[in-house]
Amino acid sequence: MIEAALERRVVVCCGAGGVGKTTVSAAVALELARRGRRAAVVTIDPARRLADALGMAGLGDEPTEADGAALRAAGAPASGQLWALQLDAKATFDRLVARYAPDEEVRERILANRIYQHLSGAVAGSQEYMAVERLHELLEDGRFDHIVLDTPPAENALDFLDAPERMTRFVGGKALRVLTAPAEDSAWLGRRALAAGTSAVMAVLRRVTGAELLDDIAEFLSSFEGMYAGFAERAGEVRSLLTSDEAAFLVVAAPEEEPAAAAVELVRRLEEDGFPFAGIVLNRVHRLPPGAPRDVDDLARRLDALGAPRAPALAAAVLEALEDARAVAIRDLDLREGLAAAAGGPAAAVIPALEREPVDVAGLAEVAGALVSPSVSAKRGPIASLG
Amino acid sequence: MAASNAPRQRGAAPVSSGPTLTSQHAIDPPLAERRLCFVLGKGGVGKSTVSAALGIAYARQGHRTLLLEVAGRDRLSRLLDRADASTEPTVVGEGLYAATIDPEEATEEYLRGQLPVRAIADVLAGSKTFRTFTQAAPGLKEMVTLGKIWSYAVELRPDQEAPEWDRLVVDAPATGHAVALLETAANVREIAQGGPIHEQAERIREVISHPAATGIAVVARPDELPVSEALDAIDRLRAAELPVAAAILNCITPRRFSDEDVAALESARALVNGSERGAIDAALAESRRAAREARHARDLEGGGVPVIRLPLLARGAGRLAGLEELASAVTDGLSQRAGVA
Ligand SMILES: Nc1ncnc2c1ncn2[C@@H]1O[C@H](COP(=O)(O)OP(=O)(O)O)[C@@H](O)[C@H]1O
Ligand SMILES: Nc1ncnc2c1ncn2[C@@H]1O[C@H](COP(=O)(O)OP(=O)(O)O)[C@@H](O)[C@H]1O
Ligand SMILES: [Mg+2]
Ligand SMILES: [Mg+2]
Repeated sequence: MIEAALERRVVVCCGAGGVGKTTVSAAVALELARRGRRAAVVTIDPARRLADALGMAGLGDEPTEADGAALRAAGAPASGQLWALQLDAKATFDRLVARYAPDEEVRERILANRIYQHLSGAVAGSQEYMAVERLHELLEDGRFDHIVLDTPPAENALDFLDAPERMTRFVGGKALRVLTAPAEDSAWLGRRALAAGTSAVMAVLRRVTGAELLDDIAEFLSSFEGMYAGFAERAGEVRSLLTSDEAAFLVVAAPEEEPAAAAVELVRRLEEDGFPFAGIVLNRVHRLPPGAPRDVDDLARRLDALGAPRAPALAAAVLEALEDARAVAIRDLDLREGLAAAAGGPAAAVIPALEREPVDVAGLAEVAGALVSPSVSAKRGPIASLG
Repeated sequence: MAASNAPRQRGAAPVSSGPTLTSQHAIDPPLAERRLCFVLGKGGVGKSTVSAALGIAYARQGHRTLLLEVAGRDRLSRLLDRADASTEPTVVGEGLYAATIDPEEATEEYLRGQLPVRAIADVLAGSKTFRTFTQAAPGLKEMVTLGKIWSYAVELRPDQEAPEWDRLVVDAPATGHAVALLETAANVREIAQGGPIHEQAERIREVISHPAATGIAVVARPDELPVSEALDAIDRLRAAELPVAAAILNCITPRRFSDEDVAALESARALVNGSERGAIDAALAESRRAAREARHARDLEGGGVPVIRLPLLARGAGRLAGLEELASAVTDGLSQRAGVA
């Protein structure tokens, strides 16, 4: 059960790739809407089908509200509001620049800059930064009681928390001031008694990159002059919100070796860095089918009596299918126990592997139902440390 | 001889045996004939597992094969029982080697290759300013990683007669990041107009976008969302002029029951109970799943690239026996001819 997390203003769903972060984020928002709240889910990489289910017109960067009638028709009536949007890193970055540019001319210069265009759209890492920036915008927006944040599929699931710092360090860091100084002001180097090391760095860098590239970078960075403080401040605000009791982090895990190990590591890092960890959501757990019938021949005879072709072979195949299904479920159980032991408590929620992939509202409602089902929370998990 | 990113290599290995012009899709060689393979796909679909299986399959065919992964995700090394995840190629099987790419180390190595005077490189490597720059500069990590992969691909044997590696398999990051990684060469070429970086980026871009040299394999699971995402990825790669060679459908449920079988099981179900009914239910659930998967597989085939199918291993793929089994399935899949779009 993840009740405590549902009271928080920001719910972050993190975890390894493919475990179900996007699905769980959408289900959390759906559940909040069901409870009468105004919830917005920021999805990172929704498949078109899921976006359709959430009523997102053309995977927009702007929040769109899911149609209440459609939710009701799908068996998930909401007395609140369900909003969804897809993160568009480039559009978000453009707005950030517009917000902090001192004037129109600087803004246009940055937006038109070749390096900026590649940096804002294509470079890995900008998406992580912009997820945090977008969160800031939505918190200011005022239309939402809750924001559920799906996280980018980073190598390290927490990369996105460090991304603003990394990016601001690049556009405004002291190191770069040194590197770009010659282009801004050729007297700069002469005026200061620079360590020999630094001038060697400059000389070498020019040689490696070619002078032109270095000048372009310098021009690009100098256009950010004066905006850096604003960037850093915003990133700092989000970070303090995310470490406060207004936020909750759910770690989504799947009962597979890799994702389970990643989840344990993630829990450790969240706790170490002071982020409010609200529990593990173990997704896609297979149900354990009953044991095999004692007598295969008996099954074969029955099938034969029904006129089934190749009855003995069919009976054997049925048992193989059963054995495989049991093997999968038993592996899930083992990993579930291993995860509980390593994470210091049972999962806050266990969601079954659904036969029909949850790509529509009805499927998401089923996931939401499992998320808040009290049955698994008999023992108090890590959620107890929340609130 | 350690590979280096230095552009002044003594001569590059021929990256292709085919025509040097960008060939049309219809005459592109199948994945198996391309020396450099990038395995990418959504998180958790089985990229590392498939990379290992592909490497084993190539090595079995007698190719001297190098598996590459990027530092930080030493999944591949763990799968192969490679204790140290070393950045030097180490042997992991007959004809099969693996190496981890550490972008920081590769950056330093790159600089050393660029700079004739060792002392200068030392100053740079030891400089805090420089370290801050390399860690923060967006795109640099990707560029250096790609450069390192490229340098392995063009590395020659000591006798200069043949490439050091017959096949290279890269366990790439999740789709979004992997596409960004592959696009870095073209991006950097644009950003640095002229100068040594521009030229290096162009050399790298030439190799990774050449369909006779490089093949991208997009891995998917046979579910609706993963398949639609794989199709999007294929479109995106094509739009970026990156050579998609195959889709790999991983974790396919075995097809044990014919329609006739299913009909018989459905009528039998009503007549039994207890564990027999449980067994029949499991069989019917499996056959429903297999039927759904077959639909998603057809959708994936609509992507216009050959689809290689790999079975779901009920007992997991994190074991050597599992990898060997998948490698055999890869070998079967590779022998299909491409170009049936
Ligand atoms: N409980 C579940 N049962 C069955 N399929 C699921 C379940 N949860 C997620 N999926 C499917 O698993 C895949 C990965 O889920 P997704 O939410 O996209 O993961 P992530 O965002 O972490 O990459 C999708 O195809 C999704 O439809
Ligand atoms: N064919 C398969 N059968 C069964 N399990 C598989 C198969 N392929 C991958 N897996 C399992 O799926 C999980 C994710 O695989 P992995 O290769 O780590 O994915 P990725 O590198 O894409 O994140 C692992 O636990 C792995 O053992
Ligand atoms: Mg997702
Ligand atoms: Mg992997």
